[in-house]
Amino acid sequence: MASESRDRVELLQGTLDLIVLRALSTMGPQHAYGLAARLEQVADHPFPLNQGTLYAALVRLDQQGWIKGTWRKTENNRDAKYYAITRAGARALEKQTDRWRRLAGLVNKLLLQGS
Amino acid sequence: MERLRRLVFRLLTVWRRDRAEADLAREVSSHLALLQDEFQRRGLTPDEARLAARRAFGGVEQTKELQRDARSFRWLDDARQDVPYAARLLRRDPVFAATAAVSLAIGIGANTTVFTIANALLFRPPAGVVEPNRLVDIGSTTDGAGFGTCSYLTYLDIRRRTTSFDGVYAYSLFPRAMSLAGAGGGAERVFATDVTTNYFTVLGALPAAGRLFDVRDKEDPGASPIAVLSDGFWTRRFNRDRAIVGGTLTLNGHPFVVVGVASAGFQGTGVRAADVWIPLNMVGVTSPQATALLTNRAAAWLLIGGRLKAGVSVPQADAEMNAIGRTLQREYPDQNRTTDLRVLALSPVPGNSAPIAAFLAVLMGIASVVLAIACANLAGVLLARAAVRRREIAVRLAMGAGRARLVRQLLAETLTIFALGGAAGLLAARSMTSVLVSLLPALPFPVNASLALDGPALVFTTGLVLLTALASGLAPALQATKTDVVSALKDDARVPARLRLRQAFVIAQVALSILLVVIAGLFARALQRMGSMDPGFDAHGVELLSLDLPLAGYTETTAPPFARAVLDRVRRLPAVQVATIAAALPGGFERLGLGGIGGPRASAPNGQRFVSADWNVVEPGYFAALRIPFVAGRDFDGAEREETEQVVIIGEGAARRFWPDKPTRSVVGESVVQRGGPRTPAQTRTLRVIGVVRDPRYGTLVEGTTGLYIYVPLQQQYVPGRTMIVVRTTDGRRIADTIRALVASMDPSLPMLTAQAAEEYTALGLVPHRVAVSVSGSLGLVGLLLAAIGIYGVTAYAATRRTREIGIRIALGARRGDVLRMVLRQGLRLVLVGSAIGLAFAAATSPLLAGLFFGVPPLDPVTFIGTAALFAAIGLAACYLPARRATRVDPMQALRYE
Repeated sequence: MASESRDRVELLQGTLDLIVLRALSTMGPQHAYGLAARLEQVADHPFPLNQGTLYAALVRLDQQGWIKGTWRKTENNRDAKYYAITRAGARALEKQTDRWRRLAGLVNKLLLQGS
Repeated sequence: MERLRRLVFRLLTVWRRDRAEADLAREVSSHLALLQDEFQRRGLTPDEARLAARRAFGGVEQTKELQRDARSFRWLDDARQDVPYAARLLRRDPVFAATAAVSLAIGIGANTTVFTIANALLFRPPAGVVEPNRLVDIGSTTDGAGFGTCSYLTYLDIRRRTTSFDGVYAYSLFPRAMSLAGAGGGAERVFATDVTTNYFTVLGALPAAGRLFDVRDKEDPGASPIAVLSDGFWTRRFNRDRAIVGGTLTLNGHPFVVVGVASAGFQGTGVRAADVWIPLNMVGVTSPQATALLTNRAAAWLLIGGRLKAGVSVPQADAEMNAIGRTLQREYPDQNRTTDLRVLALSPVPGNSAPIAAFLAVLMGIASVVLAIACANLAGVLLARAAVRRREIAVRLAMGAGRARLVRQLLAETLTIFALGGAAGLLAARSMTSVLVSLLPALPFPVNASLALDGPALVFTTGLVLLTALASGLAPALQATKTDVVSALKDDARVPARLRLRQAFVIAQVALSILLVVIAGLFARALQRMGSMDPGFDAHGVELLSLDLPLAGYTETTAPPFARAVLDRVRRLPAVQVATIAAALPGGFERLGLGGIGGPRASAPNGQRFVSADWNVVEPGYFAALRIPFVAGRDFDGAEREETEQVVIIGEGAARRFWPDKPTRSVVGESVVQRGGPRTPAQTRTLRVIGVVRDPRYGTLVEGTTGLYIYVPLQQQYVPGRTMIVVRTTDGRRIADTIRALVASMDPSLPMLTAQAAEEYTALGLVPHRVAVSVSGSLGLVGLLLAAIGIYGVTAYAATRRTREIGIRIALGARRGDVLRMVLRQGLRLVLVGSAIGLAFAAATSPLLAGLFFGVPPLDPVTFIGTAALFAAIGLAACYLPARRATRVDPMQALRYE
């Protein structure tokens, strides 16, 4: 059971950070629940998101200074920690997106060539 | 940049753990609340919605764990929990914690002590000196042996000819005692080192006040009456008063202007400490007739040091110095005939690094063995504790704790114990150092080798603690967490692997303790042998006063009559029973180069006629003063002169060596041949034997004796150098002050005499043994005790584990005696195996130390059999207690247990 969930983490490592950054950049400040809901909504088939990896990604991004969390009230008057992308985060997103596109392109090309 | 930022945050989070935890908990519960709202919106009841939210969220704890992993460094975070936890566990078992910490403290303390000494004598760079790695010692060797002083002229030659050095300086070997005239009359004794005026500049020393000697200061004899104070002397005597710079010191009656004070801690490159430094060209002023020291090529009184040019290695400089030495031998065949020049890497004890290092290596070996025993003991106990906690560990493993996490926790416990032991070890090292220092005899000049626990010592101790903690904690921790969860939870009694490991630790402990006890036993036997053995002389109640005639300007022709005159006056003092003058005493380190000696024919084993011997130059009365009995013949009568027949008194060993088939008594009247005396280096002369005396049965560690003792009369073969007035009083009273006053009245220019009890002088040679016996003996005892505890522990543990089995045996009719034997057999097997390994190990090691044992054979049966018997007895006692307890097992109770 434990090893199964670890596989999932490894699958998402690195890309999840990018996805979270992207989501925050388009949607504006979001709490963890909102992000999780958004990610599941965007995915075509059930998105195998482990909440733990999401929280890990958030703390990583926070420590890198790319996002900033503040406690606020939701519309329903619940306490929630809203994460917003910082200026450094926006720059990092641009760079990372570019890198990802190139990498994905390369992998795609290599995979297609083979078939 | 972001990575660094994240690293900092991760580290910081360890210390802000509580806040981060609270934040995380709040965030997760908010997440759950939002989910619950969502489900309620879809029409679930609040209770259903809450459950659905939990289900949808998944494992709360797992999520938190993953977040914690990302947030911080897990191992660091864990350590913050583990260490207090370990401390709590240890507090619950204070006996174990105390025993472990004390045994470790002794082991670690012993190692730190030896390291501190080694650091002070071998490694520590001199204080207040620039780039000490480019500094070297330059000295003379005779026939490749020793590392000694050179004359001033040789120094000048070296300085002129060498191309390997940026600078070459010289300084007097020993600080000289001088009288410092006080302001209100009266004098006090200060120690002065004579140095060349470039001494401080080559070393790169800086002044604490004023200036040091430099190029301005002339090198001509008597031209620079100036002095530099040591920081310690400045503080002690002048209360760090800067006004002393420019003031005057009156040394041996002559004014010296104080130009400055050396920086704190500066004492040149050695361990000998001076109060003041004066230019060595002033030696003729402090001792008016000693100007010969600056002009006599045979007066070797200086040690030389140099600063290598950048890029020049020690071997290169050594090669060049060898060449210079050979050139000087050709140019001055009379004085430099046997002298080679050598360059050695800088050492606080020039030329003595190798024997000191060897001796310290022995001590370090002993200390390491004790530490290894303490570690083995502790590892065994840890293993036993892990066995007790098997269930706890199994439960935690079953609950999903990672093995690495548990190993880290167990290691944290070990490390906590070791940290306690290390801290106590530092305290122990301080007292051990002072005990060692108290074993040293008084020296005739001040020595300052700081044995404080400084930075390197702390680093060493910390490293040792970490290393040993890992070494002894890892195996038990790995073993403990290898538990098969199912069998551990079922409390299955069979876990043989762990017991085997524990037995291995006990065997190692026994073996190492045996090694230690054997070595301690051999040292003790050696010391006992020397104590019970008649040393061949009696130094008790004999007083020595050093007399340095060449330093006061006496020459080979004026010194002998003056010495005789002094002796005559001393003999007339009240309470003097016997007085004489001698160049050396048994057990001292001096060895005089009076050339080789040969018997009537080429009798030496290697076919050479001339062999080297231990020479002594004495006045009549030497043998009476030291109560050395004559086997045959008579003492010198005092009428020997240069022009009368050349005579000699030899030791029994020499008599047997040169006349193997003659009875010792009839050797008197025969002749020996001396080649290369002090005044006739290239010639031989015939000496008639007038007496044969008992040999001092004494070897010294640093320089072994040849076993050939040759005594020649001072009036015939005076050797320039330090001599000693040797006095035995009728009632053991010390009369050094009277003799000092007497000598001062005869020649005020003679430097003040240092006095010493002859026992201290002769004891110097025994210092290493006394140290070795006390170190190995006391540590051996500790090892023995730990081994006993280990044997007891493992036997008791094994017996407890077999309680059920023993109960069944007793129920089936086994007699108590059978049970007793069974348990004893199991424990004693370990003792036996350990002893066999230990004795074999000791037998392999002791021959390496044979040189330190004074003829006690390295495989001394008394020591080996005694040690084996001792361990058998201790092993039996340690096994008997648990065996007794095993026989008292109540079969009903044992069977009901489960």
